Amino acid sequence: MRSTRPRRRLLLATLGVAVASGIALGVAGLWGEGAVAAEPLVATSVCEAHALKARKAEDPSLEIEIPPNFDMPWPTRAACLSHEAALDPNTPGPVQPIPFSHKHHAGLYGVDCQYCHSGTDRSPAAGVPAVETCMGCHSLFPPSYDELSGIRTLKEYWERKQSIPWIQIHRLPEYVQFRHNRHLEAGVDCQACHGAVQDMDKVHLVPDTHWWPWLLPTQKLEMGWCINCHRQNGASQDCLTCHY
Amino acid sequence: MPELDRRDFLKLVGVGAGGAAAAGCSDHVEKLIPYVVQPEVITPGMPVFYASTCRECPAACGLHVRTREGRPIKLEGNPDHPVNRGALCGRGQASIGRTYHPDRFRKPQRRGAAGALEDVSWKEATAALAAKIAERPGGTWVLGGATGPSLSDLIDRFVGAVGAGGRLVYEPLSHDALREASRAVFGAAGLPIFDLSGADYVVDLGADCFETWLSPIEHQRQVLEARDLASAEGRAARMVYVGPRLSMTAGNADEWLPAKAGSEGLVALALANVALARRQAAGQPVGGDAGLLAALLAPYTPEKVAEPTGVDAAALRRVGEQLALAKRPVALPPGPGLASSRAVAASAAALILDAVLGAVGRSVGLPPETPATPEPANLAALEALVAAMNAGRVSVLLIHDSNPVYSLPPQLGFRDALAKVGLVVAFASGPDETTELAGLVLPDHTPLESWGDASSRPGVRGVVQPTIRPLFDTQAFGDVLLDTARAMGDAVGAKLPQGSFRGVVEASWGGSFDAVLARGGSFAPAPLRGGAVQAGAAKLAFRVPELVGEGEHALYAPPSPLLYDGRGAALPWLQETPDPVTKISWQSWLELSHASAEALGVEAGDVVAIETPAGRAEAIAFPRGGIRDDVVALAVGQGHSVGLYASHQNDGRPGEARGASAIALLPSVRDEAGGRAWLVSKARITRTGGHARLALMQKSDNKRGRQLGDAVALAALEGDAHASGHAGPHEVRRPFAAAADATDGSAYRWGMTIDVDKCTGCSACTIACSIENNIPTVGEEQVVRSRLMSWLRIERWIGDGTQELRAGRPPYDDHEQLGRIDVRNSPMLCQQCGAAPCEPVCPVLATYHAPEGLNGMIYNRCIGTRYCSNNCPYKVRRFNWFDYAIHNWPDPMPLMLNPDVTVRCQGVMEKCTFCVQRIDLARQTAKNEGRPIADGEVTPACAQTCPSHAIVFGNLRDEGSAAVRTAEAGGVRAYHALHTLNTRPSISYLARVIRDPSSRIDEDGGHAEAGHHANAMTPSQEGTA
Repeated sequence: MRSTRPRRRLLLATLGVAVASGIALGVAGLWGEGAVAAEPLVATSVCEAHALKARKAEDPSLEIEIPPNFDMPWPTRAACLSHEAALDPNTPGPVQPIPFSHKHHAGLYGVDCQYCHSGTDRSPAAGVPAVETCMGCHSLFPPSYDELSGIRTLKEYWERKQSIPWIQIHRLPEYVQFRHNRHLEAGVDCQACHGAVQDMDKVHLVPDTHWWPWLLPTQKLEMGWCINCHRQNGASQDCLTCHY
Repeated sequence: MPELDRRDFLKLVGVGAGGAAAAGCSDHVEKLIPYVVQPEVITPGMPVFYASTCRECPAACGLHVRTREGRPIKLEGNPDHPVNRGALCGRGQASIGRTYHPDRFRKPQRRGAAGALEDVSWKEATAALAAKIAERPGGTWVLGGATGPSLSDLIDRFVGAVGAGGRLVYEPLSHDALREASRAVFGAAGLPIFDLSGADYVVDLGADCFETWLSPIEHQRQVLEARDLASAEGRAARMVYVGPRLSMTAGNADEWLPAKAGSEGLVALALANVALARRQAAGQPVGGDAGLLAALLAPYTPEKVAEPTGVDAAALRRVGEQLALAKRPVALPPGPGLASSRAVAASAAALILDAVLGAVGRSVGLPPETPATPEPANLAALEALVAAMNAGRVSVLLIHDSNPVYSLPPQLGFRDALAKVGLVVAFASGPDETTELAGLVLPDHTPLESWGDASSRPGVRGVVQPTIRPLFDTQAFGDVLLDTARAMGDAVGAKLPQGSFRGVVEASWGGSFDAVLARGGSFAPAPLRGGAVQAGAAKLAFRVPELVGEGEHALYAPPSPLLYDGRGAALPWLQETPDPVTKISWQSWLELSHASAEALGVEAGDVVAIETPAGRAEAIAFPRGGIRDDVVALAVGQGHSVGLYASHQNDGRPGEARGASAIALLPSVRDEAGGRAWLVSKARITRTGGHARLALMQKSDNKRGRQLGDAVALAALEGDAHASGHAGPHEVRRPFAAAADATDGSAYRWGMTIDVDKCTGCSACTIACSIENNIPTVGEEQVVRSRLMSWLRIERWIGDGTQELRAGRPPYDDHEQLGRIDVRNSPMLCQQCGAAPCEPVCPVLATYHAPEGLNGMIYNRCIGTRYCSNNCPYKVRRFNWFDYAIHNWPDPMPLMLNPDVTVRCQGVMEKCTFCVQRIDLARQTAKNEGRPIADGEVTPACAQTCPSHAIVFGNLRDEGSAAVRTAEAGGVRAYHALHTLNTRPSISYLARVIRDPSSRIDEDGGHAEAGHHANAMTPSQEGTA
């Protein structure tokens, strides 16, 4: 009788310790979970702040923290998205030296094509704008814009007085003399040949056939396509009009 | 991975291959480079024009420079400039090439110890120059070509400020004799001013006034206007050429008196002798004291001078009489090529003749009392400089705007004397013989990059303004002088204007500089100054010159109409455009008569050696009928050993001289007043046994009776049908209306009228076309193979030609005859035929008939069968045998390409398009304004540059257009080229009119029936030659 009492106590004590530690651990575990679960997401840029806010809008349980210096209206979320899209190598169109987004400027802000591409109505050439034209607006914007790498690149080009080597998208062979001003005079709008540029973050050639581009690559700006439009609109189909 | 069945596998492979192929077909990436700051005046794609002044020769014609995106691409004449009035000669057109020349110095250079040129900075260079001058200022001399007044003044001020030894203005063709003759005859030294407007009787005493003499464009314009057949005065106008050789100018005259070389002065005196008597009898003024003149001229009757001059006395008498009867006669003194040791007297004789004719104060003006720039140094002054150099008195020699090592007579010893000069500084923009010996090369801007001015006569000063920022690290000569003076210390620097040379130029114009820049200068030509023959004229000794050396021929070295005094040799267009008379490119040829050739046993193409006391050279013999038996002619300009185009460097033989330098063969001889003489030596011609293929554009001047450069006698215009020289009044020479050959309803049918009577053969149109249309130069070897690329050529025909039945064809076949002129210069270009033989034979329809009547040539469709050229009877189609686009435009020449014209690649046919790019440009403006293209709104490059307005372009469907009116007014003269082939060309030619010099209208208004004169070859006399 006397020999089993200490073993029973030992067993009870062990059990008690186990339960207690288990409870303690459990409580501790609950506490830890709460600390891990309660750490907020911190934005490290204005764009990231916009992204986090958007995520939070979708998932209100998300904890986010926006430091005040990143809680800015500029650059806007649209600007951030466009900037990102213009840098995306996986979408149509080459990545340009500056990720300029027509969708943002011409689409969202409605800047007229001829504001930048001036002279198109008078000259045979399209008129890629001078760096000065970009700086005309961008020199006036608040410094928070410079968060976008594209804007910083633009300002570097301007500081160095170096021109931006854009990659040409719309190119006609050298033996074609295409006159922009005549087409503008005739009332052809830019989108007819260049596509819906105002919806493009990254300018690319738009195929004009939609039902089988995945078997045969199609490109716009082929002679047959030009002739087709000329035929439909009663414009000259004489060879010498464009080839001399 | 899912199992692929056979079909799917093939699909995938197909797509993959297609994708790979497509990726492989994609173009390499092209970039768009915008401006950083776009200048307000520039809209990319549209031209901007600047007014400036041509500096290619002292005539200083006004320019309108067409620039695109800040680069000049075409030079056109300034219509407001009184000298050229919108025209521009071939040399002026080609001068755009100097700015884009691949040879240009790109930085200042210093000659190192090893003898090679090394780069140096401007600061170092000016410091070194300043230091060297400061060592011994009195030993500094400036030697250079005629510049505008602003730069000339600055040079003089520099010389004064620095305390330099002095300055010499040096021009190879300095007309020394004429300047002195003016002093001797009128008491006023300097170049007289010639105004040939309304000149109804011109006697060119070897001046070659349409080529290089004084102001060639102006003379050409004025004389051809005076001879315009639309008016009675024009039909009565005559031109007589006196000289040993049928030059380009002579070909346009009505009569040629082939006087012995150097005897032009005696001819002038004989003419004056006759004219004086006539005018005195008629009570007309004789330009001086009648007694003095009579005494002076008495010994020089036509009969007395007939023998020393070799001209028929009756001809001299007749010409003298007609000169006296003319309303506005003028005589032009001999040019530099004929300046002998008696040149002052010869030129004076011409001026005396002018005085007797009453031309002084009307067509000839005395030199200005205060010339705008110093007179050029004569040979005596240059000899003094060389003596000073040899004596070691010249420590620094600054050489600008000239190439004295090439253009001074070698016997002067300038080259050796240079070695004794401490520091030779050259300011040329490209390498030449002088820069090769310079210790310091400080390259000047080319004229299209420069500020400056130019004044060719009182009241006319053109501004020179830059049309492009300097392409390379060059500096304006004026600025270098200012910097050097300032580097010598404040004391020196303070004596010169502050600021830049541009400031100096701007300050020299009063009033609004902007207005000056817009107009191109200030144009208020002063009236001609009159004067009388002074007593001192009687002291002149008029004799035929003695020539040094041995030989049976006199060596005549005329300046080349294209290479001028040698400066043109650097420009490929001037080398490649065929010489207006011989049609040879790129080479040096020796002209000699057929009798001389036979006596020597040489034929065309044989290489002959020419020996004079000054040296020996080799050239290719070129026998022709239009030169005296006792003269051989070697044009000045070739013989350079430096330069891509001037030497054989482009043929893979750098350092080898191209052709022969006529200057190197001429001994250094002075005329009576120390001026430079060029007709000084006899030449010994010997066969070398060598043979060369002549780079001839045209191998025969025999048109075999074809309807090409046609001519009619003057009488035909007055209704004499037989005089038209053709089959009879029934022959229809314009059998159809070209206006029909465009789409029904088209408002336009483009066409031209070309007046063969007005075409002088100067070839400015050819060069203008080449530059406007991005036409490459192909080089000597390809020209030999008849592969010239120029779309426009000037065909030169002599007479109606003969039907030849000879079996073999000689290397060159010519029909010139001594003393006879029947030269027809006919521009030949694509006729834009209505029934074009080239159109139906193209297998791919690369050439077709466009709706407005043009023959369209679509380069990208052409596959190069060359059937079109085969079928073209006019042979105006040019084929790109090689990839000229890549090889024949060495950097930085692509900058001058016209962006509105496609640059053609290998394997593609091309031809004249009537400057369709200009038509298209005019159409855009017209469409914007909702109206048709007006007459005169489109001017092709050729028509625009022609000094005689021989080419008129227009819409043949517009009855009122100039092209149609001119053709209609031509009447019996109008014809289509090769009209019997029924190609329906759109170009109407107006035949050359042979004016029988004897059938002038005399004072009673009737025809002076002196009988058919034997000199001119009238068509009715042809057929039996």
